[in-house]
Amino acid sequence: MEKEPIKESFEDFIKSFFYGKRSDLSFKFMSDLSSEQASLFIQNLFKDIVDSIDDNDFSSLKQRLLQGQIQGYKEQKNFDYDDGPFHSLDPPVSSMKLSLMTSSGHFTKGNDPKPLGVEDMTQEDAQRRVFDFLKEAPQLSEIPFDTPPNDLNVRHGGYDIRGALKDPNVSFPYQRMMELKSQGVFADLTPNAFSFVGACSQKRLLKKILPVWVKKFQKLKVDALVLVPV
Amino acid sequence: MSVGHVARALEEAGIATVVIAVKSFEARMKMMSLPRVLLTSQLLGRPMGGPYDNEKQSKILTAAIQLLETSKRNGTIQMEF
Repeated sequence: MEKEPIKESFEDFIKSFFYGKRSDLSFKFMSDLSSEQASLFIQNLFKDIVDSIDDNDFSSLKQRLLQGQIQGYKEQKNFDYDDGPFHSLDPPVSSMKLSLMTSSGHFTKGNDPKPLGVEDMTQEDAQRRVFDFLKEAPQLSEIPFDTPPNDLNVRHGGYDIRGALKDPNVSFPYQRMMELKSQGVFADLTPNAFSFVGACSQKRLLKKILPVWVKKFQKLKVDALVLVPV
Repeated sequence: MSVGHVARALEEAGIATVVIAVKSFEARMKMMSLPRVLLTSQLLGRPMGGPYDNEKQSKILTAAIQLLETSKRNGTIQMEF
C-alpha cells in the first residue's frame, strides 16, 4: 500500500526556515511574519526576481529582502531599559585610541575557541546547536589587526555567514579600521580587534564575562570602541 | 542584545562606544537605550555593506566614528547617510 504524502501547511513551510528542514538564516525572519505577510513577501519576491533579471538591476530585490527582514524583526521584544549610561568624549576623535569588537564569531585559524568543547565545529553544527550556545558564556577571540583575511575563520549559528566568508569586513571591518587609522581619522588602535559569538547566555555575559572584558579595555587605555552586532 | 549589553557596561566604566547595526535591529537598539547607534540599510549579516564594497564599508565606519565626536546624549540614533 502506498504511503500517503505528508501534507505541509503554509505556516509549517515558513517556520521551516527558522532552524527547520529549510533552515536559511537570511530568511529565518519569515517565522515572525503572519501567514498573510509571508505570502505577500514571497509573491513580491518572485515578481522582483523576474523584474531584476529583465532590468539587470538587483536593487529592488535587495530592497524587498531588506523590508522583509525589517518587518520580521519589528515586533521582537527582549531587554527593555528606560535609560542608559553615556560617557561623553572631548573631541577631537583624531586624538583617540580606538578598538573594534563584533559579535560576528570571527577567529584566527589555529585559535579555534572550541565552542561547547568542540574543535573545528562546522557552521552547520553551530546552527543545529544554536540553542545550546544560548546557555553558554561567550568566548572572546583576539585578532591582530594585520591578520590576512585568509587567516580568518568565522562560525556563528545565528546568522547567514556567506557574506562574511567572502569578505570578513562585512561584519568585522578590521581592514577598514586600519585604513582609517592610516588616514589619521583617529590616532591609535589596540594591537588586536575582538570578536565573539553573540548568540550566548545574557545572564552569564552580564554577571561573569562583562566585568572581565571591561577591565581588559581599561587596561588597554581605550577611549572608545566600535561595536558591530550581527 | 549581546553587543547592547557590552556597550552599556563599557559606557558605565567610562569607555565610549558606537554601535553599527542593520536597520532591522532598530527596535532592539532603542529598547536597550544605547548611547550612539548608526543604523545601516544593509542585509542581516552584512551590517557594513556587501562583500568587497570597500567604499561603502569605509563610509559607514567613518560616519559611526564621527558620532563619537558629535553625539552629546544617550539615545543618539542616526541612519547611514
